Amino acid sequence: MGEMDFIQNEVLPSLFEGLGTSILLIIPSAVFGLVIGVAIGVFRVFGNPLTEKLASTYVAIFRGFPLVVQLFIWYFGLPHLGIYFSPYTASIIGFSLCSGAYHSEYVRGALLSIKRGQLLAAQALGFTRTGTIVSVILPQALRRALPGCGNELIYLIKYSSLAYMITCIELTGKGKIIASETFKFTEIFMIIGIFYLVMTTIAGRLLQYVEFRLEIPGFEHYGA
Amino acid sequence: MSKPPVLRAENITKRYGKKVVLNNASLSICERELKILIGPSGSGKSTFLQCINFLVTPDRGRVWLDGREILRTHKRDLNAYRQKVGMIFQDFNLFDHLTALANVEIGLTRVRKMGKEEACEKAMQELDKVGLRDHIAKYPAQLSGGQKQRVSIARALAMDPEVMLLDEPTSALDPELITEVLAVIKDLRANGMTMIMSTHQLNFASEVADEIIFLEDGIIVEVGPPDKILYEPECERTIQFCSKMRELYGNSR
Amino acid sequence: MIESLVILYGALPYLFRGVLVTVSLVVGAMGLGLLSGIALAVGQVYGTPWTRRLIGFYVWFFRGVPLIVLLFLFYFGLFTMLGINLSAFTASIIVLGLISAAYQSQIFRGAILSLPTGQLKAARALGMSDSRAIISIILPQALRLSVPGWSNEYSIVLKDSAVTYAVGVTEVMARAHFVASRTYEHLPLYFAAGVIFLMLTFLGTKGLRLLEDRVRIPGYVR
Ligand SMILES: Nc1ncnc2c1ncn2[C@@H]1O[C@H](COP(=O)(O)OP(=O)(O)O)[C@@H](O)[C@H]1O
Ligand SMILES: [Mg+2]
Repeated sequence: MGEMDFIQNEVLPSLFEGLGTSILLIIPSAVFGLVIGVAIGVFRVFGNPLTEKLASTYVAIFRGFPLVVQLFIWYFGLPHLGIYFSPYTASIIGFSLCSGAYHSEYVRGALLSIKRGQLLAAQALGFTRTGTIVSVILPQALRRALPGCGNELIYLIKYSSLAYMITCIELTGKGKIIASETFKFTEIFMIIGIFYLVMTTIAGRLLQYVEFRLEIPGFEHYGA
Repeated sequence: MSKPPVLRAENITKRYGKKVVLNNASLSICERELKILIGPSGSGKSTFLQCINFLVTPDRGRVWLDGREILRTHKRDLNAYRQKVGMIFQDFNLFDHLTALANVEIGLTRVRKMGKEEACEKAMQELDKVGLRDHIAKYPAQLSGGQKQRVSIARALAMDPEVMLLDEPTSALDPELITEVLAVIKDLRANGMTMIMSTHQLNFASEVADEIIFLEDGIIVEVGPPDKILYEPECERTIQFCSKMRELYGNSR
Repeated sequence: MIESLVILYGALPYLFRGVLVTVSLVVGAMGLGLLSGIALAVGQVYGTPWTRRLIGFYVWFFRGVPLIVLLFLFYFGLFTMLGINLSAFTASIIVLGLISAAYQSQIFRGAILSLPTGQLKAARALGMSDSRAIISIILPQALRLSVPGWSNEYSIVLKDSAVTYAVGVTEVMARAHFVASRTYEHLPLYFAAGVIFLMLTFLGTKGLRLLEDRVRIPGYVR
């Protein structure tokens, strides 16, 4: 009985606080990541050879380096160049740039799959090149990129736990601190696991719903 | 008809949801006979044939081979029974990852536990019989439809079946490839293989069948010798079906 | 600058010994994930409703919880609680393997489901038992189709293996951090670690592409 009380009174409030930090890590990173992903994806498809080369180097590095390594570079590495980030900022930078690289792959694939004919048709209507990309190509491409990007968002939720490794105390970090004090690793990390499961499951459902809502009539089975 | 039947299926019924796909269909066949199942698409021919060797589980009905009832709940008996009943599928169903030779061998080595060398020799013989000696090393994707179907016949024959079930063996073939497969089947017939075959090739049926069974909407409408079913059928629906098929595929007489 | 390079150069043998650890982690985890993933996939496709539900739950759990949480849960929590005394290295292989099993099972499951149903029917028609048909007919084809997905999974497991540093496995990342905190050359060392991972990804996926070509069925296109 005492155990339950302890968990309810001491552990849970602390974990919820950590959860709050996690969410504050996830949401901005998701938004920045998507923006970066779309921008880089567009650069890679519609840019000039130079931007394309730059963009693909960026993607190769940020998809090829483990996320932990990237976080360590932002947090422990950059101070040697005189650049200091708080753990929280370093985490958001790390998450955004990394997931941006992954998103850009899906966006690129989707852009390439949109027929060239769409570009020509829009130009025939008098659209500018940028106008075409923004109002004709992107809306279609983003729908197609959605399943991949959605998966990436779920990965982001899980990988947000790595912020703990650069001392940004979110859900996992809070758990580690309490568990080390109380030695209740099993119970506490079970609870934390459930927190993450709830987040990933809700996100998964939400994405399914969005995908369903954004379906273009007649194109439901695209890619299936 | 004094000989006892080799294979007997009685009152086979199969439903998918509410739809009765096969309704109380029965059939029996004696040694060296060839019975042909005809009927429009969706009439239940494939279902009937697949119920006979329990690839589709019938809701009701019993099957006997050599006077012994097959209990499909008894896995070992069922597998032994299936070895004795060869099956040819409309779309061949060759094992895509195996060469023609390995397709024929695998039943021998994995099911009949035959030694590798013996199996290879037997498989070569069977492939030779269907005229594919030169293609044994090819994979299914490298063979024509007619060749694929002949490999699948060799695969079934290698198991030394007592009865063969052939489900529209030529329906997936280009017209010019149909004859090569029909020739192999005629050969089998001449060598006394007992066979139940569904087909739309009425000319072939009239040439070689001992009996034709007309199936429609899961019901056996009419049964009889080819001359009767194809040229003097009693039922209106049989008449309609046969004349439609003749329109589509031409008449031999 | 020169000084950094000298330090980096001196640390390379130490880092490369970490490569052995990283590679063992990945090989162990992928191997464990392969065997259990195949079993899970077969169970999920051909099993009873309860088996399927159970496997579905397993997959949902191991795909929904972060690696680091599972590492802490198993290594500091469950294993200790159950009195199983494992090194951080072994525990990490197990945890990475359990997660990879969940992901790999979905690769194999997709591959099995993409095979035409006629393959199983034809095998049964020859008198094969279901288990024989799965072993001789279904899996050889499904596994071939899984190689591209497997290659992707490899690069994920490889990068995830860097997280085991959190429980004290002395793989590449841990070693880079160790040298960095002694020499204060963080940037070059982390960068070197990153490049090592990049190279391992490249080599591994290259190898798997060769494997894919080798096991390709002649004439077969999908
Ligand atoms: N697995 C199945 N589920 C639902 N309906 C089926 C299934 N298999 C066959 N059917 C239906 O059963 C009927 C008979 O099919 P089939 O035996 O294939 O006919 P045939 O071989 O004479 O063309 C068809 O209407 C078909 O749609
Ligand atoms: Mg049919």
